[in-house]
Amino acid sequence: MTTETEAAVAAAARTAGQGQGAVWHHRHLLDLDVVSWPEIELIMRTTDEMKGILARPIRKVPALNGRRVTTLFYEASTRTRVSFETAARNLSADVVSVSTATSSVTKGESLVDTIRTLEALGAEILVMRHSVSGAPYLAADVFGGHVLNGGDGWHAHPTQALLDLYTMRQHLPGGDLHGRKVVIVGDILHSRVARSNIWSLTAAGADLWLCGPATLLRGMDRWATAWGGGAIPGHGRFHVTSDLTEALRDADVVMALRIQRERMQGGLLPSLREYAARFGLTAERVAQARPEAIVMHPGPMNEGVEIAPDVAISGRAVITEQVTNGVAVRMALLYLLAGSHEAAHAGDVPR
Amino acid sequence: MSANKNSSRSPKVGETVERFELEKAWLVDPVSGREGPGEIVVIDGVLESIVWLEGEDAAGVTDAGVVVAPGFFDLHAHFREPGFEDAETVATGCAAAAHGGYTAVALMPNTSPALDEPGVLHRVRSAASAGGSPVEVLAYGAVSVGRAGEQLSAMGELADAGVLGYSDDGAPVRTSKLLRSALVYAGMLGLPVVDHAEDSEMTAGAEANEGYVASVLGLAGWPTAAEVNAVSRDLAVFADALGDEPRARLHLTHVSTAAALDLVRRARAAGLPVTCDVTPHHLAFTDEWLAGARRWSWDALGADGKPRDPWADGALTAAPFNTSLRVNPPLRTVSDAAACLAALLDGTADAVATDHAPHTVVDKEVEFGRASNGISGIETALGVLLALVDAGKLPLAKAIAALTSGPARVVGSWPGVAATSAARSRGLIEGAPADIVVFDRADSWRVTDETLRSKGKNSPLLGRELSGRVLLTIAGGRLAYEDLETDQT
Repeated sequence: MTTETEAAVAAAARTAGQGQGAVWHHRHLLDLDVVSWPEIELIMRTTDEMKGILARPIRKVPALNGRRVTTLFYEASTRTRVSFETAARNLSADVVSVSTATSSVTKGESLVDTIRTLEALGAEILVMRHSVSGAPYLAADVFGGHVLNGGDGWHAHPTQALLDLYTMRQHLPGGDLHGRKVVIVGDILHSRVARSNIWSLTAAGADLWLCGPATLLRGMDRWATAWGGGAIPGHGRFHVTSDLTEALRDADVVMALRIQRERMQGGLLPSLREYAARFGLTAERVAQARPEAIVMHPGPMNEGVEIAPDVAISGRAVITEQVTNGVAVRMALLYLLAGSHEAAHAGDVPR
Repeated sequence: MSANKNSSRSPKVGETVERFELEKAWLVDPVSGREGPGEIVVIDGVLESIVWLEGEDAAGVTDAGVVVAPGFFDLHAHFREPGFEDAETVATGCAAAAHGGYTAVALMPNTSPALDEPGVLHRVRSAASAGGSPVEVLAYGAVSVGRAGEQLSAMGELADAGVLGYSDDGAPVRTSKLLRSALVYAGMLGLPVVDHAEDSEMTAGAEANEGYVASVLGLAGWPTAAEVNAVSRDLAVFADALGDEPRARLHLTHVSTAAALDLVRRARAAGLPVTCDVTPHHLAFTDEWLAGARRWSWDALGADGKPRDPWADGALTAAPFNTSLRVNPPLRTVSDAAACLAALLDGTADAVATDHAPHTVVDKEVEFGRASNGISGIETALGVLLALVDAGKLPLAKAIAALTSGPARVVGSWPGVAATSAARSRGLIEGAPADIVVFDRADSWRVTDETLRSKGKNSPLLGRELSGRVLLTIAGGRLAYEDLETDQT
């Protein structure tokens, strides 16, 4: 190290904050609903610095040397977990990895007991993935350190939305999403990725469209209507439609979401074949978007279902960039959370 | 305070109140419809005299201070015994009830084992008498064996043993066919079926009222249609059953949606003898509490009469996903809460019932979607209704009636119960055993783990101050609860 790198990161975080009046004061990152736009910009600038580190031959800095990061995954997820652990190791943190298959969770231990145990074992930053919406709020309520939400139920996946935002900014002129048409296609109802993206993209000023079969949009129209009049401070309106042609027309960003097989058993979709025929992102359909439009996917992909194989590897696809950016964004968040001080959030309600 | 209490000796819970006098209080008699300044005297457990004060004697006595009302009657409570004594027992439930101003409770049979044969009822009764509380413990028997929805419970034997009616509460009576048989057979015995109206297939996996809040929080939606479906099924089956057995009766408990209340309203207008209750929590709390709002339902209505948006107006003050708010039926929208109030005001809802559902920390300190359903509410019902009164949304006399004469009229409409003491009118009656609650609207109390007598601390109101501190509850002439902290000189 490059104390010089560490100093650069710290300075970037500081000046980015000062420039926008933003200082990182959140003890936890559970969702983006309570994160202001200046704070999101702070995350983006800190991510820029982390990208700089990732571009070096030796991708490791001692920023979190000796700090203890524990990943607690109640749902199988190779890529998100590896991304977080890589991010933590790049910052020289000690990483402990707990998954349901290896923990006493399978013996019936409650989430609260598990978290108290991990805290007693020294966990300082807890990265958590859980299948039940809201579970990280329970964790934050009992955990003495910092909770970083790695995805909860259908509710939120804030690091995914931030890496999506970072990737979009890289590809849009001036890094500005204002008025840019962003389309998310797929199973919106069950998607934590879509929900967190609603918060960040409406804050970024994007022209956001959510598109999918009507059964997988259920309830989203109510949300869109509630926000339609620009009622929510700092957040613009968004659109919900089952008309893929309308959604894709002149889009700047097209993002496909994974379709899960359970949706067929739930009676929400006739078949994957029918989904692919009506909503799959084919080259022909993507051609309705702007010529320079990018194609995204949070992974893992069902190629041939929600996205055609040729689209997934086309020049428009930025799917592997999303993965690389994910490490940088997670490094930024680990760094910011570890640096936030208890005093700054005394009496903070985990929201 | 404006009232004086003179007792020769402070009795213990369960003992006859030898002498108790209250001068210059506000008396509410929901049976005669009279309310005003007055005095009461209790001697040897009997409400010896009621004096209505007029002119100068009444000076300074208002309905904003000490109030005397008949003891409350809860049509729907869970005391968890036998089987779940770590959540509540009949003894702790009675203590909680008395603290809430209740002198009678009707317990649901979803115990373990279920109350589907007289032996379980005897266990509940022995627990009640061993507990020493004078709170009257009534119980419903299960509609079906083990509440499994397959086969009728020992209905006749349960009737002989004195159940108040039948319910598979916690779940609806499973099939229309079984409901029809149950209504007819119970009708023959002069007893009602009390149904928890829910289309369980439609709500499988549901976590929160389907709507804006559930969409934003990513919680699985619990559709209004699931309650409307069930209520319309129940009404259709009931109308059919009445053709076979005119004494059949149906009571719908904890109706929570505007659409379902409309169905009940129309059925009653058409002459169907259906009754229903609403809960304090569906009147006062809404789904926005799941997102972290903590304002009363009526404060969430804008000046234009439309619900306000908690994300737009800074109403989100608490952490989201608090499991004390997980309840079945779920907390609904601001409009649904307003409809529950309208139903209470126009008589569509006959009573307020608490659905007091205590749970252990183990069952509630878990992920939202895995938490047990239920709110511990028997001690906070009065405070919640008084909040409605304080806000000018509900007249005091109507609030009291919903807790006393309203439920009494419901059970009085059940032929087999009409002649029993459970169906007594619940007015202030001179010469009858004293069955009263005394509370002070000018005084308040804080809802905490310590102040709640129930073992169930699963109240969304924890930490909140409620007006209407209960000073004294006398059930059947015996002391049920006395506030020993307030200076009563």
